[in-house]
Amino acid sequence: MIHHHPDNNMLLEYASGSLNWAHSLVVAAHVQLCPKCASQLQMLNGIGGSLLAASQPVMSGGPQQADAFDKLMQRIDEDEAAPLEEEAAAAESARTLARASYKTPKDPMFSSVPPVVKKVLEGNPLLKWRRLSKGLKEARLKTDQRQHEVAFHRISPGSKVAEHDHRGKEITMVLYGSFSDADGVYTPGDFLVREPGEVHRPTATQDQECLCLSVVEAPVALTGFMGKLVNPFLSFRPQ
Amino acid sequence: MRADAQNTYNGRNGMKHVHSESMIVQASEKTRDDEWSNLLLKVGRHRDRQAFERLFSHFAPLIKGFQFSRGGQSSAPEAADELVQEVMFKVWRKAPSFNPEKAAASTWIFTIMRNCRIDAMRRRGRQPEADDSLNVEDIWDDSQDDQPLVYLQQSRSQTAVASGIESLPPEQSHVIEKAYMEGKSHSEISEELGLPLGTVKSRVRLALKKLQSTIVR
Repeated sequence: MIHHHPDNNMLLEYASGSLNWAHSLVVAAHVQLCPKCASQLQMLNGIGGSLLAASQPVMSGGPQQADAFDKLMQRIDEDEAAPLEEEAAAAESARTLARASYKTPKDPMFSSVPPVVKKVLEGNPLLKWRRLSKGLKEARLKTDQRQHEVAFHRISPGSKVAEHDHRGKEITMVLYGSFSDADGVYTPGDFLVREPGEVHRPTATQDQECLCLSVVEAPVALTGFMGKLVNPFLSFRPQ
Repeated sequence: MRADAQNTYNGRNGMKHVHSESMIVQASEKTRDDEWSNLLLKVGRHRDRQAFERLFSHFAPLIKGFQFSRGGQSSAPEAADELVQEVMFKVWRKAPSFNPEKAAASTWIFTIMRNCRIDAMRRRGRQPEADDSLNVEDIWDDSQDDQPLVYLQQSRSQTAVASGIESLPPEQSHVIEKAYMEGKSHSEISEELGLPLGTVKSRVRLALKKLQSTIVR
């Protein structure tokens, strides 16, 4: 049972196409697991449909309209005349190649991820896990991100992540296992937004490793006191 | 966590509404959207070019109108014409997968148009974050497949949404239109209108609440 959802504002931005790419990715992953948000999204898409149906028609002259239609049908004819078999064969061999080079990570934690996350994994066949702290590993995704960083995080069973705050807004979605913090327990599909400055200390459940997909805003290269790159997810608070 | 608790509550309510909705629907009259749905089905099943031409002459001017309403940016007529070509090309190709039980025709075409717009922005570099491993359609799925949903009767709820939008207070319908038609995020709207972000958010939420109650009724 999913208890934590993106709010209506974020869903509406996603439905209307104005939500940034990285956040949209996590929202899509959530919606694929959450029937409640999927049906809310239908309603939100319906608003777009109603606005389209009610928009002020901009007519072009009759001949222009006919030209536009002819141009379109020409494109469609060309598209359909293109040797389908060749195209299909090329697509099939590309898929075979992709499948061959892509191996689903054997880990059971990847076995039931939503389709969009599967696509992400296909695009990042070699996840490079690095240890951020005891019990916490991160694999950043190869993206051309400037404003956001997308990563998988895994917390080993029972591990407590060092208390940290967030330099930028962070969105986390649980994919496998569960973790808890002072506010509650989060299980697969749960969608959490942490605003900059919020402090929390997640702990994975005892019996299982926990896998999350997360997006952190403005991953400016922060240099820690040890001279290495410090992830905003783990900007330690001096105690 | 308060907002979440409320969300869950609404969710339960939502399930109830699905039932009452489908009962009302059986008695409901055919709406105009059904006509477009039927044409889309003809295009999908029989590759019916006449049906497609009728869809084109209805939706091309609407797509342009929707696009022209965009504040300032890319409202060049060529861009709108290009968008029409792109959207209607996809409509032809995807029509076999159109399912009128899952979306009203105009909603289905809206999602295709939205994806074309996102794709165009991406190509123009306005979505600098887009990476090549994902297509727009991986994130904004318009395939209508495998969604474990109880679907509302679409044309009926579409009509309700349409009349709901008309009855919104102007300051609410204004932000909704800016979001959808101009493709603006809440923070862009707040900058443009000189309103605090919180105000934009709450107007959107109020508008959605009203629209939801219209659908339910």
